[in-house]
Amino acid sequence: MAAQPERAGLSTVLEYPYTRTTGPVVGAFLGGLGRGRLLGSRIGGRVICPPVEYDPETGHRVEADLVPVGPGGSVAVWTWVREPTARHPFDRPFAFALILLDGADTPFVHAVDAGSAELMSCGMRVTARFADEPAGAITDVVFVPEGSEPGGSPAAEAEPVTTTTHLISLRYSQPLHPHRQRFVDGLRAGRIIGQRSPVSGLVYVPGRGHDQLERVTMGEEHDTAVADRGTVTSFTEITPVQYHGQKETEPYIRASILLDGASAPITGVDVRSIPLARFRVGLRLQAVWRPEDERDTSGFDNWAVGGWEGVFARWEPTGEPDVDSALLEEHVF
Amino acid sequence: MTSSPGRPVAIVAAASALHPVYHGPEATLVMTCVNEVRQAAGVDRVDFTMAGSCDYLAGSPFVFVMNIEGMGAWPPIYESHVEMDGAWALFEAWLRLQVGDVDTALVVGSGRPSVGNQREVFSLQTDPYTMAPLGLDPVSLAGLQARALLEAGIATEADFAAAAGRALPGMDPGDLLAAPYFNDPLRSHDVATPTDGAAAVLLVAGDRVAEFTDTPVWITGMDHRVESHHLGLRDLTRSPSAAAAAAHAGAADGPIDVAELMVVHSPEEIVLRNALGLGADTRINPSGGPFAANPIMATGLMRVVEVARRIASGEARRGLAHASSGPCLQQNLVAVLEGEL
Repeated sequence: MAAQPERAGLSTVLEYPYTRTTGPVVGAFLGGLGRGRLLGSRIGGRVICPPVEYDPETGHRVEADLVPVGPGGSVAVWTWVREPTARHPFDRPFAFALILLDGADTPFVHAVDAGSAELMSCGMRVTARFADEPAGAITDVVFVPEGSEPGGSPAAEAEPVTTTTHLISLRYSQPLHPHRQRFVDGLRAGRIIGQRSPVSGLVYVPGRGHDQLERVTMGEEHDTAVADRGTVTSFTEITPVQYHGQKETEPYIRASILLDGASAPITGVDVRSIPLARFRVGLRLQAVWRPEDERDTSGFDNWAVGGWEGVFARWEPTGEPDVDSALLEEHVF
Repeated sequence: MTSSPGRPVAIVAAASALHPVYHGPEATLVMTCVNEVRQAAGVDRVDFTMAGSCDYLAGSPFVFVMNIEGMGAWPPIYESHVEMDGAWALFEAWLRLQVGDVDTALVVGSGRPSVGNQREVFSLQTDPYTMAPLGLDPVSLAGLQARALLEAGIATEADFAAAAGRALPGMDPGDLLAAPYFNDPLRSHDVATPTDGAAAVLLVAGDRVAEFTDTPVWITGMDHRVESHHLGLRDLTRSPSAAAAAAHAGAADGPIDVAELMVVHSPEEIVLRNALGLGADTRINPSGGPFAANPIMATGLMRVVEVARRIASGEARRGLAHASSGPCLQQNLVAVLEGEL
């Protein structure tokens, strides 16, 4: 029985930490949060929180004179977040608010953990709730309605924070593009499907859904099968550098192979079955498919063109004469 | 002063490709749109190509490079990109044409927001120290702006419903007000639904305009201005940046028949109407605006396309296209377009 085509969508998470230096003003502000203190900057007769390094009227750099503000304040405006995102500070409904902290002249945007929208109002009093284990980030404080929990207790000295880390994490999901789905379905059925340009006749493997040279879109009517044998047009030997997560220990070959019937090679093809000494440009190769129920096409998403080792067990020389390398110069990549 | 260009520049062709969900590469989406512009103008090669898109929205690095396939990258082209709405690509192309060594420019904006969560993506546009780690998203920030308008007595929730309802013919604003809140005081219909899409325009400078069209749409002025990223330093009920951009683009130099405003949260229409000084004789968002289609990263350029189409067809003589970027209308662009001068 043929393997069932994969129809599941692609899910990816784009995640990494941004580590930023803070400078003296933001560093002192974030450090203050860790000691239960909120600081504003006094500039031109106004107290601004969060503090700034410049005069907001002129943009000129100033030496900020940091002064304590809060921990209490009043809500200027608020919005109730009924469906929090994964990046919000709470996984339950809460408010974002512009909060005018006591002693400050400009409001501070932050989150209020009020429990219910009915408890929110413009002018209501809130107070800071500081984290028990500060991380040196703006999330070391949130606000709660005054009276619901004690606010912070200012410490004598606050160590500045010199760097702050923000882990960004974004989730994406999408189906395979239609031409990629047909390509993957083909591999699972033992066929390599490309697309033939209706203008130039060039065959791309896999197809892109368009011909980028002739600027025409391509659909299922342009699909065409190519052979599972071809010619080496370029290769390199990879010597694995040991790093965290590296699984390779022995050198191996990555090759570009121009399949018979295609106009451009498939690239990044893993070759383990032929010694380097016998590998060369012009060598004719035959792919040996993995059994249908062992084919793994997960290496082919909507962008990547690697993953051939998931469907081919190995490559074997056909024994045919080599192709003259001069004929392959336009097919290196 | 950006309102007085050294060379006159006209839009000679415009196109859009809109899909609730586009099943295919962003580059193919761009290609369908760009091919329509090329065909309309009868042009194959252009001197300069300028695109606006967002890799964080696409969820993969260098999607903006792959998109060049859709614009036609062979033989090699002279191109640039902004990680902004295509309206800012238009600004850069228009500025580039002022130099005088190139005469034609292709401008594209594109995005496929259907693959991700735009509330999470665009929280990364906010201040990285004091805002982004809180996940402050565009809808929540628009909710704060909405509340500020209500508190100041400048608008009512019925005004928000009227702005959102423009794209929903036959919808009773009373029914809209009966809907539950999403981000109080905003309801779901107060937030334009993202769609996948692309928009493209072809710009031609100077004497060559007549080679391409009999109905050029001249860009007589364009400007963009930005306000503080520090929300506490802004009055959210006003948009001095939109007002300044309109003034420097020369919006007040004549009557505005039609205005397409990038209103993606309904309260923004009230702020922009006031800032731009639009009167009762200006038709606002006859296309339905972003509430009819919100192709993120092309929504602003679409406003230019919609105004240009109406001027080219003779439906309007002079119009204003507006685009916005950042939370609560932080940055605003205004282009003034006119028919035969």
